[in-house]
Amino acid sequence: MTSAREEKKSDAASFRAKLFVAMMLVVSGLTAAGLYLAERNAAAVAARDLQHDFQAELASLHSVEELRYAALAERCRVLVEKPRIHAALEDNALDLLYPSAKDELRDVMEDRAASTEEEQTSGLHARFYRFLDRTGAVLLPPNQNDVGFLRREEQSQLALKGLPEKSQIGYLLRMAGTENELIDEIIALPITSTETNEVIAALVVGFKPVEVAEKRAGGGMKSGIWLNGWLHLPALPESARAAIDRDMTRALAAPQGEGRSSRVEIEGAPHLLFYKQLNRGSVFPPAYEVCVYPLAPALAQQRRLRWQILGAGAALLVAGFIASHFIAARLSGPVEQLAVDSAENRARRKRVEAALASTHAELERSARFSADASHQLKTPVTVLRAGLEQLLRREDFEPEVYDELSALHHQTYRLTGVIDELLLLSRMDAGRLEIEFTQVNLTALVEEWLEDLNALPDPLDLGVRTDVPPALYIAGEKCYTSLILQNLLENARKYNQLGGRIHLRARAENGWVSLTVGNSGRPIAPEMQEHIFKRFFRGAMGENVPGHGLGLNLARELTRLHGGELRLVSSNEKWTEFEVRFRAAEQPVA
Amino acid sequence: MRVRSLFVSFSILGAFSSIALAQVVIEGRVELPKSHSAPVVNKRYEIVTKGGVLATSPPLAVVYLEGSFLKKAAPATKQVAQKDLTFIPALLPVRVGTRVEFPNDDDTYHNIFSYSPAKRFDLGRYRPDEKPIPSQVFDVAGLVTLRCDIHEHMRGLILVLDTPHFVTTGDDGHFRLSGLPSGRYTLKAWIDSRTTRERPVELKSGSTLHVDFP
Repeated sequence: MTSAREEKKSDAASFRAKLFVAMMLVVSGLTAAGLYLAERNAAAVAARDLQHDFQAELASLHSVEELRYAALAERCRVLVEKPRIHAALEDNALDLLYPSAKDELRDVMEDRAASTEEEQTSGLHARFYRFLDRTGAVLLPPNQNDVGFLRREEQSQLALKGLPEKSQIGYLLRMAGTENELIDEIIALPITSTETNEVIAALVVGFKPVEVAEKRAGGGMKSGIWLNGWLHLPALPESARAAIDRDMTRALAAPQGEGRSSRVEIEGAPHLLFYKQLNRGSVFPPAYEVCVYPLAPALAQQRRLRWQILGAGAALLVAGFIASHFIAARLSGPVEQLAVDSAENRARRKRVEAALASTHAELERSARFSADASHQLKTPVTVLRAGLEQLLRREDFEPEVYDELSALHHQTYRLTGVIDELLLLSRMDAGRLEIEFTQVNLTALVEEWLEDLNALPDPLDLGVRTDVPPALYIAGEKCYTSLILQNLLENARKYNQLGGRIHLRARAENGWVSLTVGNSGRPIAPEMQEHIFKRFFRGAMGENVPGHGLGLNLARELTRLHGGELRLVSSNEKWTEFEVRFRAAEQPVA
Repeated sequence: MRVRSLFVSFSILGAFSSIALAQVVIEGRVELPKSHSAPVVNKRYEIVTKGGVLATSPPLAVVYLEGSFLKKAAPATKQVAQKDLTFIPALLPVRVGTRVEFPNDDDTYHNIFSYSPAKRFDLGRYRPDEKPIPSQVFDVAGLVTLRCDIHEHMRGLILVLDTPHFVTTGDDGHFRLSGLPSGRYTLKAWIDSRTTRERPVELKSGSTLHVDFP
């Protein structure tokens, strides 16, 4: 018992451990998921912020470009209306083109002498300009100083295969690889004749490219232009530039490789690289704006965030630990109790069941034994009686012998009765007796008994009074109800005294029929009263009264089988009274 | 009056030259490009550019006889006036060495100039009734495009020819060249700045030749 309880307790403890582990797992899982999501989110936000930055820079570049373009387009429109320009272009006087345009384009060019800081950064002043003739070839200026100096090979890069219908943006790398390396943005604008609407020439203007403002993007950001496989980003060391070159070449070779971002290592530090084509759709070679953002701040922020989340996770874990401990204790207490209780209950029930089973088996065994015994006994009794009857038929014995034989013969009947009753009882005990309910006329039964009584010798000179309503029916099987009645009435007669009285009274009420049998026999001692219905109990009855202590027991068992009850109502010096109750039945239709 | 003086000069020329100077006449018609413009009111012509090609509109041609002719001392002065923001005449053939005056008959300033290889000049801005009348001598054969620096749409053409024998066709393409010397020459018809048709001709004294340029 105690070992079982301890077992249950250890079970409960393991349940507690499991609960705890599960809670720990949930807390750890939540922390890990939170960490993962937050990190991913942080990385995405950082990348997005940088991307936005980059797009904003590009947008500002575009706005300056548009401004330049608008100014230049207007300039070209005005220019082409100048008869001298027309004359120079149309009348084969190209040598006069630059002198003719000089005045018109003077303010486009940078004023090297007097330019203020503001004008320099406004980005609207050109570094050079050239005209393209009808075939797209560069018209050589008579004096380079007026139109901005270009080296011969640089100048030749301005040429186009034909005159463009729309303005074109290109980039010109100058003095590549030298210390003075620089890149110029060039805009080619068609010059359209106002008379014929034909493009008769083009003006190519070179500007200092718009710098992506470093102060906006924060420290460390570097930007440059990638043109013809060459990255113009002087702020970068050579090795990093080569790395980006490779990266760009690879990215641009891939389909839709443009406008993306990628990570590059520059001097061992991770950077995010953005690039986007600046002159989409241009007839000039494609050029890309390249921005390199250091990821160090973003990574530092990410690290900080990671530690914060880990700290929070740890705190959560500890809190979860405590909470789960608490909850597990709170939860497992009743469960533990429940487990112990149920185990005890189960054990108890098993014991009871086992007892019940053994009792049942014993009962059945004893019932079967008495049934077998009754059968085994009946045969020799019958043989004995037959033998006695044979002897009684002989006439050569003494008269005393006959008396003796007659008494023995009578005893065989008594024996048969006992055996019959035992048989009946054992059948009842085994549960094999079933009542076939019919309507039994109780009144008739009583009358039959009275007739039998009158036929018997009456040594006690009893006075019998009956108070039984006519045609009183009860539910039962006739042979058993008459047996019950016989028992009661026989007892009332047997245990009576000389000149005694018997009083039978029957009543029907509330679906029940009660029959009271009273007699003026000797009283049953109060201490005996509770035992009189036990088997083989005869109390203080004299041995001269026939009986074997089975009658009342049998009567009560049979009555109960009928759903009724048999009890001793009272017993005193003058009067002893039994009452038997049956369920009432309808009078059968005749 | 000018025609008369031309005639006089020709007769003087004829008197100085040989017997070959007979009164040969060439008549004919130049097939002019189809004009899609409306009929010209008051014989107003203008110069149009198409694909870099200059021509008059409605079309006119200049027919001239090419060959070696004696230089004349000083051809008479001609005029290209600016009237209603156009050049009148729009197309003027002149002999090499001719002085052309550019009177301003408008109420506004003009600035006549040319970037043409045959003659580059720039008269600068001048008022109406500027005196003396701004002028230029055209001493190289070729086509000179006249422009105004103030009025960008104004165009005029001066066809400087190395021959005294030339005439502008009517707007139907008919022409008549008279007082020509006999001999073998090339007859040319200038139609636009890119198109000049030519035909070898043999002129016989006293005859009238009929030449059509298809």
